[in-house]
Order: sequence, then structure tokens, then C-alpha cells
Amino acid sequence: MSHSLRAATFVADAERTTWHDETLWFVRQKRDKAVYAVPEFQELRELASQIKEHTLSRLDEYLKQFEAEAQLNGVHVHWATDAAEHNALVLDIIRQHGATRIVKSKSMLTEECHLNPHLLAHGIEVIDTDLGERIIQLREEAPSHLVLPAIHLKKEDVSDTFHLHLGTEKGNHDPQQLTEAARQHLRAKFLAGEVAISGVNFAVAETGGVVICTNEGNADLGVNLAKVHIACMGIEKLIPRLSDLGVFTRLLARSATGQPVTTYTSHYTKPAEGREMHIVIVDNGRTQQLGRPDFRASLKCIRCGACMNTCPVYRRSGGHSYDFTVPGPIGAILSPNIDMKKHSSLPFASTLCGSCTDVCPVKIDIHTQLYKWRQVLAEAGEIPTAKKWSMKFTGRLLASPTAFGMGGRLARTGLRLLPHGLTHATTVNAWAVARELPEPPKQSFREWYQETVKL
Amino acid sequence: MRVALFIPCYVDQFYPQVGIASLQLLQKLGVTAHFPAQQTCCGQPLANSGCERDALPIYRHFVDTFQRYDYVVAPSGSCVYHVRKHFDKLEQTPEVEKVRASTYDLIDFITGVLGVTELPGHFPHKVGLHLSCHGQRGLHQANESEITPIRDGQLRRLLSSLDGIELTELDRNDECCGFGGTFCVSEAAISARMGQDRVQDHLRNGTTVLTGGDMSCLMHLQGIVRRQQLPLQVLHAVEILNGVSC
Amino acid sequence: MTTSREKILAAAQANKPAETPLPNIPDFGGDASVERFTAVLAGIGGRAVWVEGRGQVEQALRQLFPEARLVASPLFAGTVAVDAQTPTAMLADIDLAVLQGEIGVAENGAVWLPEANMLHRALPTITQHLVLVLDHRRLVATMHQAYAQLPGTGGYGAFVAGPSKTADIEQSLVIGAHGARSLVVVLY
Repeated sequence: MSHSLRAATFVADAERTTWHDETLWFVRQKRDKAVYAVPEFQELRELASQIKEHTLSRLDEYLKQFEAEAQLNGVHVHWATDAAEHNALVLDIIRQHGATRIVKSKSMLTEECHLNPHLLAHGIEVIDTDLGERIIQLREEAPSHLVLPAIHLKKEDVSDTFHLHLGTEKGNHDPQQLTEAARQHLRAKFLAGEVAISGVNFAVAETGGVVICTNEGNADLGVNLAKVHIACMGIEKLIPRLSDLGVFTRLLARSATGQPVTTYTSHYTKPAEGREMHIVIVDNGRTQQLGRPDFRASLKCIRCGACMNTCPVYRRSGGHSYDFTVPGPIGAILSPNIDMKKHSSLPFASTLCGSCTDVCPVKIDIHTQLYKWRQVLAEAGEIPTAKKWSMKFTGRLLASPTAFGMGGRLARTGLRLLPHGLTHATTVNAWAVARELPEPPKQSFREWYQETVKL
Repeated sequence: MRVALFIPCYVDQFYPQVGIASLQLLQKLGVTAHFPAQQTCCGQPLANSGCERDALPIYRHFVDTFQRYDYVVAPSGSCVYHVRKHFDKLEQTPEVEKVRASTYDLIDFITGVLGVTELPGHFPHKVGLHLSCHGQRGLHQANESEITPIRDGQLRRLLSSLDGIELTELDRNDECCGFGGTFCVSEAAISARMGQDRVQDHLRNGTTVLTGGDMSCLMHLQGIVRRQQLPLQVLHAVEILNGVSC
Repeated sequence: MTTSREKILAAAQANKPAETPLPNIPDFGGDASVERFTAVLAGIGGRAVWVEGRGQVEQALRQLFPEARLVASPLFAGTVAVDAQTPTAMLADIDLAVLQGEIGVAENGAVWLPEANMLHRALPTITQHLVLVLDHRRLVATMHQAYAQLPGTGGYGAFVAGPSKTADIEQSLVIGAHGARSLVVVLY
């Protein structure tokens, strides 16, 4: 199913669409306010971009340095080429400890690898501890946003879910009380957690440590109570130096939610005494993307979600319309690398307005990559046949002044003479779903020019 | 100075008055622009659909048509942006490079090349300026809210110089209207909703005349205005700058 | 047999672009005042309290948290002794932890808290309320300056900026998600 069909379903609920759009626009406005308040913000974006580009240009070396430093810190380092290997590795570590109760903080990588279903299928209880993630886990849904995974839900939805699963009072949808109920419910899980799984925001090559940013404190609580910590990261999370974090921590939260920094910016470098720390480094298509010159810059992404909040399409189509772990503009340039056929409509789910590129804290040329993916998809035959042939026809028409002039006259005459019901039939003319066609003038500009100026 | 007028294909066919106003405004500013009759299109509709390869003959035709001019001026930031940014697919011959560098949006040409920052005229209306993304973000014709809170731009300044005009302060100064070329039909539902939201922002804040530098966005917004029979008149900015009365 | 590690490293090496330079990061300067730190901290749901000298911390805390029953702190005699071996069940009952912060960041209200000052790694998040004590001379303007002053990250350490919070339900801000429900920074 294409993005446009899923989007049409979402937008059909006009009221909910208004709410979704305004809620995310509010986040964009908070971001603006935070950005305007930092005079060097644009300079920081440029620095972040250069640091990430440099890291990618020496990725193999930094990976080796990171591994060596981490091992010196007493951390076990594992490598996985794809999702299946990642999932098997994680399960293996859990089994080695005979553990069955897992607490997991936010990790888009484990979402991408579908780790939860894999663990559940092997009898392991895995609890997502980020509030938004827990809500959608209880509802058996996928996240609809990188940073705000449950942003597609209203408090009434959450209330129903908590009533069903946590026994909260029916009809009580006060966010304060719902959050308190989740706190109590998850405290018990934290206290019982044997293994904690986390994502990674930044992996520092020179220290071998990983940095995890949360607002809720769920990563810290989970990791620091469990015997074993498994941190899962894509290879693109690396940065060379500890001091680079100065740049990224200043950009991340401001871009994401408009906060000056996340509540917890936690540096995990060595396991606590008597405990274990594992880092799983995952490729899963990333080195392939690194080999695509037009698209490798997508690997600079620090998963702030700003491109989603600003995207006028995302705000009105909802995250699930993308049907990919990472939705929105950044998802639309990451997904075709994973499965070109399945995600072929995503690069077209954009007006190429460029706002995503302008908010991106690491200056990924997102809208240019969307344009370039369109070319790749069309060349690969992954666009609808009707579109392909109409474009070939249009191409011939527009390369010939004679045909162009005649075609234009025919179209205008047709529009003037044919009944409105026919020219505006939505079955053949999608323009007419909400718009009138322009009123055709008798004369085109070129006809006027010929007659008036060039006598 | 040999100046050619490039009139985008849909403007030629549906909005001849925009071409006429462009020609007349340039004339008033002392520039006689020529309209080479063999011109067709910049090829953007195909390229944005992924069919850049099918657009190459159109690109070549564009270069052939305009290579003998010092400037190519078009009342459309979007087409100009396409020529400047995406004609990189052609072999970069001196002709191609020349045409890419000398193709200007009409407003940029007036302010940047001709150095005109004020225009005489009287337009006593509450005017809502729609910033088209390719002109604003692509050609940097106006400040972007992603970067700065200051709302400024060439067209805003030119319009402000008219007597009696009042510019609308919008809630969302530079959100995309949802036209997006073939997006407007391939993602018709989202496109329509985006356009409706833009129009409502204008209505809510008092716009009576909706204008902009790109007729494609305006065609889409006008389509919505006419479908919903809203009290908004839609004009290309060059019509206002050329002294249309309404 | 080629290991996954070798495969990934080989692919990264083969596919990486030509090397680009690693930029130097300038010190952007900025305001490191107590006033700015205090205002920013208030903006993120925390609170700064001023005392004249470290000796007055305990008294200030009694006024701030008169109801705190189980208090853990390395700075004065608390009511519960905590170390790295303290069992989870005991940690879970702690009302208040009072810990020494090392560096305060005026631009975002964050305080660097190294493992050495935590008693137990989980204490700063498992406690119901958290107090960080900070010498005002250790305030810096930005994160750049904070990292420049860090001797290292130790085994574990965190910048803590305000109380635990979430906005995952309809973007409504709720203080007290999983970590500490409140955060006071006592400056001296």
C-alpha cells in the first residue's frame, strides 16, 4: 500500500488531523524559540555536520578505536551485520545469564531489528520503559515518531489502554495521573529487571563509552539496577572525541523538543563492579548506504525528529502512514536503502519544500535526497506504470514547441467546452478532490504576444 | 542587455495576464524583454516525478532557446530554481553554464540586477504574501523561520513600498501550501488539506488579496478558494506590482 | 570464515568517502552567571537555592524537605547508609538523596554528577527527590566549557538537568516520570 493511501485514511479524520498538526507544530515552535536563543546555532549545525562527515570518512578506523577502548574498559563488544544476527546475539547474552525479565529503554535500532517479538517468541519478557513506548507496546502498535512514539494517540486513547492493562480508573484521562500510574507500574519492572537493554545516542571513539539521552531517566534506572547492560547501536552513532559532545548535546534536545538539554545525558563507560556491559554494533544496511554517494549523508542523522515536526506532510499524514521504523522525511530517505520496492512511495510523500533540510541539526540535504531517490526509483521501475508513460509522453510534448502549443490549445478548449462534471470528475482528476481547475482563457500568453507585440 | 522572458508552461496556458504583467512591468523599468516563441518548459514536472532522464531533451531545448540572451527572466522561483539547481544533469558546456547562471526569478531580477527596491503605485488592500518554498528556501529570496524570527524578503519589501498596502501577519509565515508539482495529484488528500490550512491562515488573519511569486502555488490555492467560494482574490505579485486594480 | 566484525569493517572501509577534516570546536564564550543558571533551571522544572557556605546545606534541606524520612547523602549523616552494594529493595524506599555536583552549566541548567559522588549508580534516579550541591564557582556557560573541564567520564556519570519528566501523553508536560520527582540545586 502506498503512502498516499494510508495518508488519505489519516487525513479523512479532519479533527484529529488538526490536532496532530497543531501539536507537532507547537513542538516546532518550541524548537524555533530554543534555536533563536543560541546565537551560534547555525555554526553549531555546521560543526556537527563536519564532525559527522569526518567520522564517516574514517568510519572503519573509528570503529576499531572505539572497540579497543571499550574492551579496555571491560566492556564486551559484539558485531552484527544484520537484524537477525543482532537479535540472536542479544538473546544469547540474555540466556547466558538465565534471565527472563528485561527492561528496555528507547532504541530505534531494536525497533528496526524487531527485537521485541524475537525475545517474546523465546519466552523472554521485555518491557519498554519509556512512557510513550510502553503505551504503544501495550497497544501492540509501532512508534509513530522518533522522539514522541505515541504522538498519534490522544489522552483518551491512553486512558483506555491503561484502564485495560494497568487497571486505572475508566474515563480518567488526566496526563498527570496516567503518568503516575505508569511510574508505579514500571517501578516494579525496574526493580525486577535482570538485564537492561538500551539504545545509544553517541558512541565516543576516544573513550570507548556510550552516551544515552533521556528525559524520563528510564535508561539510567533500568541499566543501574540490572546485572547486565546491553547497549545496541548502529555504526553511524560514532563521534571521535569527548569534546564533540559539546556540539551534539547543544543541538539534540533543542532541535527535538526545544529543551536546552535532555534531563539526563548519561555517560556509560565501564560496567559497575560485579556487573556486565555489552555493546552490540550493528550494520543492517548502513555500510551499503555509506557506499551511495548521493545518500550517505543520511547516516549523519542523530534521530532528533525535527524534520518530522516541521514536515507539513508528516504532520497531516501521521507517522504510521510511512510504514517504516523511522517515519517522516528522514525515514523517506533511509527506507529505500532497506527495501526499494516496499518503500517506493515514500520519497514521493513530500512537496520538496526543504523545511526538513533547514531544521536538520547536522545539515542533511534531506529534500535533495528525496529528489534523488525519485530518480533512482524511476530508473529501477519502482514508480507506477501510468506515471512513467505519461511522463514520457509529456517529455516529448514539452521538447517540441509545435506540439506544446497545440496541446495547450486543445486542453484549454477542452476545459472550456466540456461540462464541469466531466472535467472535475475525481475518478480521473485527483486535482478536483478539493480544487477547481483554473478558468481557461481564450488566448494563451504566446498567442497574445504573437498578436500584440510581434506584429 | 538582451533579456528573454520565460513564461512557465502553465502560466502561458492558464494565466496569460501574469506574462503580460511581467512584460509590462519590465518595460516600465526600462527593459524590453523578448519572448522566444519556441520555449516550452523547464522540465521540472518530469524531474520531480523521478523522470529526470525523460526531461533531458526539455533541458536541452531550454538551453538552446535562451543561450543567446544576457538574462532569462521568469515570474516563477520554482522554475528558476530547477534550472539553476537541477540542470547539473546536463553536460556543463559553456552554454549550459551561462543559461543556468543567467536565469533569474523576476523579483530577484528587479531587485538584484536592476537594483530597484521601491515601486510607485497604490494598492489599498490587506495582502497576504504566500512564500513559495523554492523561491524562499531554494533561491533564498526571503528569510526562513527555521533560521530566524525576522520576517524579511525581497518581495515583501517591494510590495510594502506600494501606497496603502497592508501585509498580513500569518500564524505560519512560511509553511508549504502543498502544491508540490505532481504531489498535488499523487498525494491529493494531503495536498488539499495543506492548501486548505494555508488559505484558512490567510482568512483568519484578514487577507483579502492573496499573492505570491509563484503561480503554481497560487493556482492550487485559488482552486481551493474557488471550490469553497471564499472571499479571497488571488493575484500573482507581478500583477499587483504592475498596477492592477481590484 | 570471515567474522561479522571483519565484514562490517571491510564494507565501511570500501564504501567510505574521501577523508574530510575534523573541525576544531571554538569556545563560544557566554554567560556563566548564577542568575542565568537559576533562571534556566527554573525553566526546566528545577529549582536553585542559595546558601552561604557548604556548612549550611543541611539546615537548608531540613526546611526544604521537612517530611523526608529516608535520606541518603555522603555530605552529612543521612538516615540511611548507601554504597555500591546496597540492595535494590532498600534503594527503592529512599525519599531524598543529597549529592555533590561537580560542574553546573548555565545555558541549560545541567549539573555534572560523576559516579564517585553517587554512592550507588542508581541512587540519583531511584530516589524520590534529588538535591545536588554545587560550588557556584564551578558554573560554566556552555556544554563546550563543561566538557573541557571534565577530567574524564569515569565509569559512569551524567549531566542531570532538572527533575525527571515526560510529555509522552499529548505533549502535556508531567514532572516525575521514572526518576526523581524534584530536583533542587543548592548553590554555595
